[in-house]
Amino acid sequence: MTLFNTLKNGAVKAVSSYKQILLIWVTTLILVLAVGFPLRAFLNMIFDSSMIVEKLNDGFDIGVAGDIGRPFGALMASASAGTFLLSIAGFFLMTFFAGGLFRRFTMAWGRQKVSDFLRASANNFLPYLRIAILMMLIIGVLTFIMIGLPGIITMAITGMQTPSGIVMKILYVLWVLVMPVWLFVADASRRWVAATGSHKTFRALGAGFRALRERFWLSYGTVLAVLLINAAFVAAVFWFASIATPDKGIMVFLFFLATQTLVIIRLFMKAWRYAAVCEAVQ
Amino acid sequence: MCLLPLVAAGQAILDKPLSARLTGYDIDVTLDPEKHIVSGMMTAWWVNNSSMPVGEAMMHMYLNAFSSNKSTFASRGNWSASGKDGWGWVKVSSMSDRKGNDLTGLYGYVSPDDGNEHDKTVLRIALPEPVAPGDTLVLKLDFISKLPSPIRRTGYDEDFHFVAQWFPKFGVYETAGMRQREADGWNCHQFHPNSEFYSNHSVYNVSVTLPSEFVTGSGGMLIEEIDLGDGLKKVVWRAEDIVDFAWTAWPGYEVLDRKWNHVDITLLTSKTGLSKADNHFEAVIYALEYLNERVGPYPWPHLTFVDPPFNGSGAGGMEYTTLFTTMGAGAIPSFMKMAEMVTIHEFGHSYFMGMLASNEFEEPWVDEGINSYWEQRIVDHYYGDGYGLLRLPFLKMSDADQGRISYVTSPNRTIATNDLPSWMYPHGTYSMMSYNKAAVWLHTLEGIIGTETMDNVFREYYRRWAFKHPSGQDFIAVVNDVVKNEHGNRFGEDMNWFFNQVLYGQGECDYRVSGITSNRIRSYSGVVNGDSVTYTRSDRSSDTLYLSRVSLERLGEVILPVEVLIGFDTGEEVLENWDGTGAYKDYEYTGVGQVVWAKIDPYDKIDIDINRMNNSFTLDPSGATTRRMMNKFMFLVQMMISIFTL
Repeated sequence: MTLFNTLKNGAVKAVSSYKQILLIWVTTLILVLAVGFPLRAFLNMIFDSSMIVEKLNDGFDIGVAGDIGRPFGALMASASAGTFLLSIAGFFLMTFFAGGLFRRFTMAWGRQKVSDFLRASANNFLPYLRIAILMMLIIGVLTFIMIGLPGIITMAITGMQTPSGIVMKILYVLWVLVMPVWLFVADASRRWVAATGSHKTFRALGAGFRALRERFWLSYGTVLAVLLINAAFVAAVFWFASIATPDKGIMVFLFFLATQTLVIIRLFMKAWRYAAVCEAVQ
Repeated sequence: MCLLPLVAAGQAILDKPLSARLTGYDIDVTLDPEKHIVSGMMTAWWVNNSSMPVGEAMMHMYLNAFSSNKSTFASRGNWSASGKDGWGWVKVSSMSDRKGNDLTGLYGYVSPDDGNEHDKTVLRIALPEPVAPGDTLVLKLDFISKLPSPIRRTGYDEDFHFVAQWFPKFGVYETAGMRQREADGWNCHQFHPNSEFYSNHSVYNVSVTLPSEFVTGSGGMLIEEIDLGDGLKKVVWRAEDIVDFAWTAWPGYEVLDRKWNHVDITLLTSKTGLSKADNHFEAVIYALEYLNERVGPYPWPHLTFVDPPFNGSGAGGMEYTTLFTTMGAGAIPSFMKMAEMVTIHEFGHSYFMGMLASNEFEEPWVDEGINSYWEQRIVDHYYGDGYGLLRLPFLKMSDADQGRISYVTSPNRTIATNDLPSWMYPHGTYSMMSYNKAAVWLHTLEGIIGTETMDNVFREYYRRWAFKHPSGQDFIAVVNDVVKNEHGNRFGEDMNWFFNQVLYGQGECDYRVSGITSNRIRSYSGVVNGDSVTYTRSDRSSDTLYLSRVSLERLGEVILPVEVLIGFDTGEEVLENWDGTGAYKDYEYTGVGQVVWAKIDPYDKIDIDINRMNNSFTLDPSGATTRRMMNKFMFLVQMMISIFTL
């Protein structure tokens, strides 16, 4: 199978899984609303009838923080704690739903009921969690070896406050080029769990590495291509979200719709990677 | 009457003296970079410009602040040597006067500020014969200065040397009337953690012998560099009309030059600092342009500044008029202008304390407060009004706000007046009060009298006091004169009412819109007929009139005139001026429109108002901004979850 066909078939499968993806989106939305609504209520309570809020129309003016006073510290603490808790919950949630998605991409193509999707998610959750933690550990250690350690040595030698120089630039590029390897192994391992029903984590990882070795360039190229497209997409949406400053009710609502649409697209792109890897391995 | 020594007679840099040049120094020293010792001889002279004979002299011996952790500087500033080689000191090994009289045994240490017997930073010399009015005292000294480590303003780290406050230097002999002084006398303070500058504008001829591989820079103009052989060189500098002389030596310096009008600007930086050199040059040229136009000309043809290496960062952020140090910008992203801010601030001291040589010890606000005010104006002018210090699409901060936040969020903002000596501020409030509160009320003064008048105040301040020693009262006198000249009695007989509150008072300023009400005035028409009354009421909307009331309160003790902008549902806006004297004020309007919002100080002129949240009130608070903020937060978290999970 060619790289193009792999990507194309993966995209078709991802789009065909729109119900599952919308379910994931709704779940993440409910999750963040649990923190977002209290945060908004807190902000409304702070600003009350003050018009100082106008100063926040084109970005948060830190000068306003001085006028908010002590509640600003509480606001920051709440937002930070909320973000941390949401990140943890989100990690478990995405790991959970990955089980259902991989099951869908490895089963004989046809309808998958929501109950089947959730059952598959639950069934694969623990092995997926172990794979995710192991792979994140591997990526963390590799990042420390490739970036952290040379950076510390560079700073010690040059006396600079930040690691820089041609060697560090080469290492950054190498790190980016190595990332698809680990993502492919993680995805192929999870595909093996979904396909075989086995919960043996290390056998799954072994299968992932084997799949990489057997079709290296197709596997690597698939994940690299999806990653690059994802990176461009993420950069674009962050740019959009940071510069958009709607200040009227209807515009804010449209902004909400736009950002949530972008989240859905992002979830499709993640599913695309899963599906493309499954295609590459088959 | 005695002629000045020959060293002062020549003009090597400027066409004519800028100051009275009451003091001068000829220094010839050698740097031992292994022992971090500067030793040699000095001829120092001081002219008695008073009408009375003077029988003593006072000198700064500021390196002795590093000789013990019981000195005022070390104990209050929490400094201690890095090891047995880390202590710093300055010793006079011999001292004689012009006639060759040996003055050894005629001098001893005094502690005029706090009586600390362990502090040896002020030397009092009992002269064998008084210096007659107009006569010149000439002292010949051999001295040894050992630099301290870790660096705090001055010192060494390995082969990096920043040599400041390193030689015995005269205090200022003040005559009666000068800076509101009642009687003649020396003004010579100890070395404090928060202040170190009050000196005469002097002439310096400095020669330093040191190993050839060292790259050097100083506050003087390089006259010559002589190769002495045996790996040694002698560097000769001359400086005119500056209040202090510092220099630096480090083999790792990269030297870059730029020219701005008549000024040759030299930057000494490390290799790692080269990438940000343009930012520093740009900042210093901005400051030169801005202050030349709005305060007065920068007279010297030379200016040197230093971006110290990481291990020399303790020397960063200091000012010696024609030499200053900034901070490394390497780790700071381009959207933050912290390093540029430091560059502009330290250059600003060339004016505020350098040319306008106020007493930093006794009135730090005249030095740091005024300089911070100008730094904030420059940063926000050139890097963006409202986002001079930090500019991201979703986050911003102006330099003025950075200073204001420090003041308005401080729980100790009313603990003391703003005119205390630097070492008297309680509870660690020195920086907040001297830098930030002073800058905040200077911005407020600008808001009240207008930017053009404020600029004229400083032009006049420069014209009257450049290369002299102004006090805070002298600055206030300039404000009063200029404001009177430009605005007549619009703000009263003088502006003392302002300074009495913000400088000499401890109160705070807080105005508040406490509420808005609008009631419909019903239109009745009727007839009284005996015991009965018949009437009709007109409800036609076109005839409906409203009585609207805007209620304002002054919550703080500080009384300032404020503008109040009031908005109606018809789109009409009314600008009122409240003198702010009462504890409250109501504005009432009758008309077809209802008041829907009100803003006190709508153009943010009164920076000293500690709470702008309550400066405005609307009957229709828009939730759009908070909804947008929530949307962005949720979007950000959702994206993070999808990106950082496998």
